[in-house]
Amino acid sequence: MIDTVWLVIGAASAIAFYMAWSIGANDVSNSMSTAVGAKAITHKQAVIIAGVLVFLGAVLVGPHVSETIKSEIIKVDSIQPNILILGFISALLAAAIWSTLSTWKEMPISTTHSIIGALMGFGIIAGGIGSVNWLKIGSVAASWILSPVFGCIIAFFVFKIIVKLIFAKEEPVGAAKIVGPVIIGITGFLVSSSLLFKTSLSKNFNISDLEGLLISLAVAVIVSIIGIFLLRKIQAKKEEDYFTVENIFRKLQIATSCYVAFSIGANDVANAIGPVAGIIPLAENGTLSSTTSIPFQLLVLGGIGIAVGAMTWGKRVMKTVGERITNLTNTRGFSVDFGAATTVLVASRLGMPISTSHTVVGAVIGVGLARGLEAIDLRIIKKIVISWVLTLPIAAATSVGIFLLLKMIFI
Amino acid sequence: MIKEEDHFRAPLTDTFRRKSPFTQLLDHMCKVEEGISLLGDGLIKYYKGDYKGFSDLAKKVSNIEHEADLIKSNIRNHLPSSLLMPVDKGRFLWTLREQDAILDHAENLSEMLDMRHTKIPKELQQLFIDHVKQVMETVCTMEKAVQNIRDLVDTGFVKREREQTKEYIHKVHDSEWKADQIRYKITRGIYKLEKKLDPMDVYHLIKIADWVDEIADHAENVADWLRSMIAK
Repeated sequence: MIDTVWLVIGAASAIAFYMAWSIGANDVSNSMSTAVGAKAITHKQAVIIAGVLVFLGAVLVGPHVSETIKSEIIKVDSIQPNILILGFISALLAAAIWSTLSTWKEMPISTTHSIIGALMGFGIIAGGIGSVNWLKIGSVAASWILSPVFGCIIAFFVFKIIVKLIFAKEEPVGAAKIVGPVIIGITGFLVSSSLLFKTSLSKNFNISDLEGLLISLAVAVIVSIIGIFLLRKIQAKKEEDYFTVENIFRKLQIATSCYVAFSIGANDVANAIGPVAGIIPLAENGTLSSTTSIPFQLLVLGGIGIAVGAMTWGKRVMKTVGERITNLTNTRGFSVDFGAATTVLVASRLGMPISTSHTVVGAVIGVGLARGLEAIDLRIIKKIVISWVLTLPIAAATSVGIFLLLKMIFI
Repeated sequence: MIKEEDHFRAPLTDTFRRKSPFTQLLDHMCKVEEGISLLGDGLIKYYKGDYKGFSDLAKKVSNIEHEADLIKSNIRNHLPSSLLMPVDKGRFLWTLREQDAILDHAENLSEMLDMRHTKIPKELQQLFIDHVKQVMETVCTMEKAVQNIRDLVDTGFVKREREQTKEYIHKVHDSEWKADQIRYKITRGIYKLEKKLDPMDVYHLIKIADWVDEIADHAENVADWLRSMIAK
């Protein structure tokens, strides 16, 4: 009996690692592409940043979304444990296969959407329409519309602030040396507060909300001061030196790239490990309680998987991307990164699984609407939206197919 | 790029264009700059009675015009309705169209002048030279106005840069007005000499002044469309 348990958990973990790998290859590389495209970092640096910070984000903030994926999409109590294990495994496999396939075919899908679609498909076939938690699906689906919109709004305002406080000033370079680090300070605040507010970390160290706030503020101030200090030597070459402004933002974009990687780790690791987190207690004692926490080893596994994905296939994706984007300047890339990462991080903290690529797309449109981009091709955006709608049924159908196959073999 | 290497999911990158339409507009303007400065120098020599090499020049201008046409149609063919630009696409295309008209007229002028080498009367020579210089200055000022679009786009259309562009546009208007005044003087001068001149010469002289002046008119049109393009 013990052997079967470990066999099941081992198989599930292997598939989860595969899923994490495909997330690393797709979502991470896509979202880091703005920084690579704006030549803020080379693709090698992007891979290193992604590897380290995705892992940290996954381990430190990841559990919130995992809970949602694990036990809130389908009403688990109406389905037998054995069936449930098979279902989770087939959903994971279906989502991973679909992600890899669409990576190969250059289809812009979202790994988050695939896993939720796959779980939904299994839920319908195993326990009928009623066993799917439609309310939860509805709220998740709403967040798919809201997340690009929020990404768009935040990126719009960040770019407007850059225009108003830097470009419109008499000495843009001088202004950039102050405003840029301050925005980075805000980034520091958001990251550290996401780590310290009502997390296991704050429980372990006994940090109250107020202390968390104070620590985050201190982090923000320190980060800003470091930023101002590092940029102090840059001088404007002429009065309207926009080139130097862009150069300053090129340096600042290294920070936002870390922010993006961190947020993705926080949000996307759940896609891979959520189902496995559901399988483990099921295989061990036949029940699924939504109160058991996500095992730390699983988060590590997911984090490593994403990092490996970013380092293997993701490296090539980023290289291609870097060659393709040519008219994205650093101030724009900065705005896109900041808007997307903030949305993703906040959503992760709220336990909402959202699509990172689509948030990035929303942020790009936001900068475009702020008259920041010289031309955006909306046809591509339309294509993304279509694939977005298609992902749910396709992932669901694949998951159902795999589930029926596994059921035939094992039960 | 080899297609095989593209088998990786990178949807985001496709939303950006490899070459921005503004960069292409500036590329097109470089052709205008090249053509007009070539033609301007050639015209001054022509006015002074030096027709050597004018045929070559006409060919060169014609080639430049053709190159500019290619840029223009490339821009036009790659502006689908789904493209989101920070300025009105229609006005952008009108600016391009007027900018292209400058070279069309330059080509026409050089071809027409090459067909009949008309001697400019001594009395009018200086006026003709002043006129072409004034027209060239109008085009140069227009070029500066258009070039400022780079700064406008880079800064996300801040007020200071918009004011700068507007200033250049005012200068274009001034410069074009001055060119007009010189042309009136030329025309008046031609009528004064009409008894002495061959009728065909009179016709051609008036035409030359007209054709040269049209270049300034189109430069002014570019400035006007630019003005409406960058309006809030």
